[in-house]
Amino acid sequence: MLQRDAFIAEITKRISKDKNIFFLSADFGAAALDELREKFPDNFIHCGISEQAMLDVASGLALEGKKVFVYAMAPFLSLRAIEQTKCGAGLMNLPICLISVGIGLGYADAGPTHYSTEDFACFRAIVGSSIYTPADVATTKLIVNDMLDHPKFSYIRLDRNVLPDISPQINSNDYQKGFKVYGKEDKKKIALISHGKMLHSCLELYNKDKENFICVDIFRSKPFPTELPKEISLCKGMVVVDEQSPSGNLSSCIFEGFSAQNYFPKIVSKSLPEKYIFENGGRSYLLKRFGLSNEDIISATKQIID
Amino acid sequence: MIKVNDLENLAKKYRRDLFEKFLLIKQGHPGSIFSMMEIVVTLYHCGFVRFDEKKKLFLDRVLISKGHATAALYPILKDFGVLPTKEWDNWGKTNSLLRVFGNTSIPGIDITSGSLGHCVGAGAGMALSYKKSGLDKKVYVVISEGELYEGSTWEGLLFAKHYGLDNLKIIIDINSLIILGKTSECLNLDPIKDKISGLGIDTFESNGHDFKDLISIFQKCEKTNKINCILANTIKGKGSSVMENKKNWHYWNEMNDDEIKITRNELT
Repeated sequence: MLQRDAFIAEITKRISKDKNIFFLSADFGAAALDELREKFPDNFIHCGISEQAMLDVASGLALEGKKVFVYAMAPFLSLRAIEQTKCGAGLMNLPICLISVGIGLGYADAGPTHYSTEDFACFRAIVGSSIYTPADVATTKLIVNDMLDHPKFSYIRLDRNVLPDISPQINSNDYQKGFKVYGKEDKKKIALISHGKMLHSCLELYNKDKENFICVDIFRSKPFPTELPKEISLCKGMVVVDEQSPSGNLSSCIFEGFSAQNYFPKIVSKSLPEKYIFENGGRSYLLKRFGLSNEDIISATKQIID
Repeated sequence: MIKVNDLENLAKKYRRDLFEKFLLIKQGHPGSIFSMMEIVVTLYHCGFVRFDEKKKLFLDRVLISKGHATAALYPILKDFGVLPTKEWDNWGKTNSLLRVFGNTSIPGIDITSGSLGHCVGAGAGMALSYKKSGLDKKVYVVISEGELYEGSTWEGLLFAKHYGLDNLKIIIDINSLIILGKTSECLNLDPIKDKISGLGIDTFESNGHDFKDLISIFQKCEKTNKINCILANTIKGKGSSVMENKKNWHYWNEMNDDEIKITRNELT
């Protein structure tokens, strides 16, 4: 199941009981959205291919007490309308939930206009934002129900494609903390930290070599999960893997979160390079070509070993 | 209905009160504020923005999209008892909620604005919310013509027209000046009326400083069951011969004693 279908299906269920929920789309669809539109046409608002106006309209609705979800393709929802998001949801602290689909190279081979490799850094910078990057459907459902129960300014980063289920999955205790640690910290081990699609690479490496690795799913990167440093600080280092550009990605977030608590671990950042990617070949090929294969992650761990 | 002569006196008093504040705080946007004074006095004092006297709150919304001019509302909100007098009195002297740009922490200010081009969309969202909830409420959005340079303004107009938001009233303060000069010379916007009418939005023109004209046009807009837009032709810095039609008076400038005396006399 696609994360977006899981997310929207939960909203549809809730609209049946709460007509104060509004779902706005900038001409971006999903199978589950077809059902929402059919069942609750009054609660769906097509905003045209106008992400900026969609965020302004969302502000107006939220100022009048509506629970607002806005939905579009990641690169356009994030960077195209970022100032509208700042001035509305940010400055006025409005409970608007942005659902951003196709993060990273999800839209391979569409090219860099459709890649969303800077959205994480940009949204982290907006004051008051909460950021979630689920790696499977179960986590996605926990997030959407939290947003329905406790509406807030949030940016939800979903993958374009179906991602495998994580096992064991995120439970309610993990959800409250904002992360899940696979394995037990040890001074001989390296922590592989990621979110979304790249978490699955880290989990695969962890499952192959539990002697040397633990793995961390940091599905809520902002507010930073304050319990994380003390749970993994014994590890001899960390490799943070993110399908984003080099500046301001998840590794920056980890460094800032840890240093705020006076932890200064060895951190190696594995991200995409400082370049726009025009090559074809599909997402798996591009990840391998640009430094995010499993072998690349293992090589990065050697930097800590050496 | 309040008499035109009384409205003119109110507009003059508000300009004078704000001028004294400018002298005190030495910043702000007098040219833009003075150009829209008659527009907001008409909205509030002629009953277009409905007021619940008992609850001391307005039933309709006013969004000043040209957020640098939101301060025009402060003396009006004070007179209605919505803005505490002490906040006005303290502004420029000690702690006060008031700011050069408006924000929602200020009683009576319905939106945080300052960045241009947001309020047609936000107003459309509010107006749509009222329609969805079956509420008899209106939203007045005052934008500067300079905001017609922002693409989001046109996106918002397109949205408002499509959703038939007849409870959304857009007023464009056209003083023909932006920071670097005349709009016609910097980057021409004309013909504004044709462009907005071309979206299918009923568009009316008014002298933005003539209360009779403004009242008449606002009344006409109230009677239509369509989204409409008022093009209010105004003069930047209206009321002060030192400031009128001068682009540099978008911002506050230092005044010499003679200029202060002249302006005080003109606003008295």
